[in-house]
Amino acid sequence: MGRRLATIRGSALALALAVMSTGPGVLAEDGQYAVLMKTLSNPFWGAMGQGVEDGAKEAGIDYFIQAVESDQAAEPQLNVCNTMLERQPVAMITAAINSTNLLPCLKTAQDRGIPIVDLDANLDPAVLEAEGIEIAFRIGSDNVAAGAQGAEYLVSRLGAEATGPVLVIEGLSGNITGQRRAQGFAQRLGELAPGLEIVASLPGDWDRGKAASITNDILTRHPDLVAIFAANDGMALGAVEAVYAAGLGDQVTIIGVDGNSDAVKSIRDGRLNASVAQLPYLVGKQAVENVKKVLAGETVPKDIAVPTLVLTREVLEEGSEPLLQYVK
Amino acid sequence: MSSELARPGLWTRAQRGSVERLHIRLESLLVLLALAAVMAALSPYFLSFSNFLNILLATSTIGILAIAATFVISAGGLDLSLGSVMGLSGVAGAFVTVNLGVPWGLGVLACILTGALAGTVNGQLVTRALVPAFIVTLGMLGIARGLALVISGGRVIYGLPPELLYLGQGRPFGIPMPVVIFVATAIVAHCVLAYTRFGRHTLAIGDSEGAARAAGIRVDRHRRVLYTLSGALAGLAGMLFMARINSGDPTAGLNYELTAITAAIIGGTNLFGGRGSILGTMIGALIMGVLQNGLNLLAVQSYYQQMAIGAVLILAVFIDQYQIRKETRS
Repeated sequence: MGRRLATIRGSALALALAVMSTGPGVLAEDGQYAVLMKTLSNPFWGAMGQGVEDGAKEAGIDYFIQAVESDQAAEPQLNVCNTMLERQPVAMITAAINSTNLLPCLKTAQDRGIPIVDLDANLDPAVLEAEGIEIAFRIGSDNVAAGAQGAEYLVSRLGAEATGPVLVIEGLSGNITGQRRAQGFAQRLGELAPGLEIVASLPGDWDRGKAASITNDILTRHPDLVAIFAANDGMALGAVEAVYAAGLGDQVTIIGVDGNSDAVKSIRDGRLNASVAQLPYLVGKQAVENVKKVLAGETVPKDIAVPTLVLTREVLEEGSEPLLQYVK
Repeated sequence: MSSELARPGLWTRAQRGSVERLHIRLESLLVLLALAAVMAALSPYFLSFSNFLNILLATSTIGILAIAATFVISAGGLDLSLGSVMGLSGVAGAFVTVNLGVPWGLGVLACILTGALAGTVNGQLVTRALVPAFIVTLGMLGIARGLALVISGGRVIYGLPPELLYLGQGRPFGIPMPVVIFVATAIVAHCVLAYTRFGRHTLAIGDSEGAARAAGIRVDRHRRVLYTLSGALAGLAGMLFMARINSGDPTAGLNYELTAITAAIIGGTNLFGGRGSILGTMIGALIMGVLQNGLNLLAVQSYYQQMAIGAVLILAVFIDQYQIRKETRS
C-alpha cells in the first residue's frame, strides 16, 4: 500500500510539473539570454519584464526570465542565479536584490566569459572593483535625479517661498535605490525652497500599508503637513489613502516615484499629485538591445541612464510627451 | 491487506529496517528519487555533477537551520527565530571583522556565539519565565532582525578577510566549503540525535514531558541546551551565508524559519515532538532543494514553486498519518 501511495505521489508531481512547464522558454537552446529579476509581483518589475520581452522579440533574441518570491529574498535569488548558469546562457542580465548577494554567481559567470549586465543599477561599483568583477554595462534610471525632479515639481507647485513640514518615506531600510531617491529629493529641496522642512524621513519598506501608518503618525504630530515624498508609488498610494482619510487631500501634495499603472490611475483621478516615472519598460527594452550589441562586438557606454519623466494630471491629459508611450 | 499483515513482504521488511537502522521512512527517500527522475526527464541540465553541487549548496544554509528545527521540534518545542538569528549572526560576524578589524577566527566565533546567545535567551525565557516557546521565539524573530538592521545601519557590511571567505567560497577537491560544513554537521547531528543518550532524552521529552521527568531527565536544563544549540546552528548558517557573499546582510534568512520547519516536517519530524531524525530532515530538505532547482532549471515562475512546496508538505504529512493509522490498527 505504501508503495502504491508513493507512486501516486510521484506521478501526481510529475503531472503537475508537466502542466507547469508548458510555458515559453522551457527548452533551452544555444544563445539564450538569462534575465534575473527581483520579483514580478510589482508593476514596476512587470513593466521591465514586458520591455525585455518586446525588446527581445524585436531583436529576434531567445531569452529566459526568472525572479524570486520577494524583493528581499537575497539568498534564494543567489541560488536561482547559480541554477540559471547551468543552462549556459550567453549573457546574464541581473537585477540584484542588494549590492552583494549575487557576487559568487557573478564571479562564476565572469569566469565562464558570460557578459554581465547590471539591470536597474543595483550593484556598487566599488564592490565590483574589489571583487574583480567587470560588468558589460549598467542600465537604469538615475535615482538621485528622480528624487531631485520630485523636489523640483513640489517647488514649482508651492513656490520657492513656501514653508511647512514635509515627510519623506524611504524604501526598505538599507536599500540603495530608496536611499538615493530620498537623498536626491532632500538635497534639491534644501537648495530650492529652504522653507520647506523635512520633519521626518522614515523607511516604509516599499510597503503600502506601512507608508499609510507612517503618514497617519506624522499627521498626528504635524497636522499642517504640506507635502509627502515617497520613494515609490506603492508607498505614495498608501500615503494618499491616509491623507484623504484624514480629510487633508487639498492641503498635502503627494509625490511618488515609478510611474506605475496604479499611480497613473490615481493621478488621473486627481488624488496622487505626481509620480516621477522611471520608464522601466524602456530600461528592460534597451538592456536587451544593448546586450545584443555587446555580443556583436560593438562598444556600448558603461553607464546607460534612461530618462525619467514627471507625470502629473496635466501631462497625462495633454498626452503630447513622447516618453508617455513607455509609461505602462 | 490481511495477507500483507500475515506475511511481511520485502517492502514491509525494508520499511521497518530503514526506520530501525537509519531512522528514516523509506517513502520519503522514494519521493526524493522519483522527483529527481522527473526533473532529469524534463530538463537536460538537471543530471550533472555541477548541478548536484548546486542543489547541495542551495540547501546548505536552510539544511543547517532544518537540523536546528529538528532538535527543538522533536523535543516538543519550537524555534521561530531561526532565520532572524541567522541574519543577526552574519551581521555580527561581519561587524567585528570589518568594522572592528578582529582576526577572522574571532569573526567565526562571533557568528556562532551570537546565535548561541540568542538561543540561550530563548531557552531561559521558555523554561524559567514559562512564556510559551511560540511567543518567545516569535519575539526573538523581531528582536534579532531589528538588531541586525540597527548594527548594520540597514545596509550590507562588505569586505571580509580572505580566510573567512574561504569558508564560504573555497572549493577543496571541487566541493564548495558550505557543502562540506553542511554535510559534516548533518552527520554529527544525526549520530547525536539517533545514537546518544542526549538524543534519546530529546525524543523522550517530546514524547511525554511528564514521563521524561518521572524517569529522572532534567527536562528544563535539556530544553535550554536544545535552544542554545538551535541558536548556535543558526549562527553557523549565518556565518556560511556571510562568507559566501562576502558581507553581512541584515535581511539574510528572511522567512527561513518556516522553510526549515517545513523541511523537518517533510522529513518525518512530528510537529508535536517525540519523533524526528536528522537524516529524515535532510531528505526533506533535499526534496525541497531538488524541487526548487528543477523548477528553476525549467524556468517555472517562483509562485508555482511555493505552491509545489506547500503541496508536498501536506502530502508528506498525509502519507505519514496514513501509515501511522495503518500501523496502530494492526
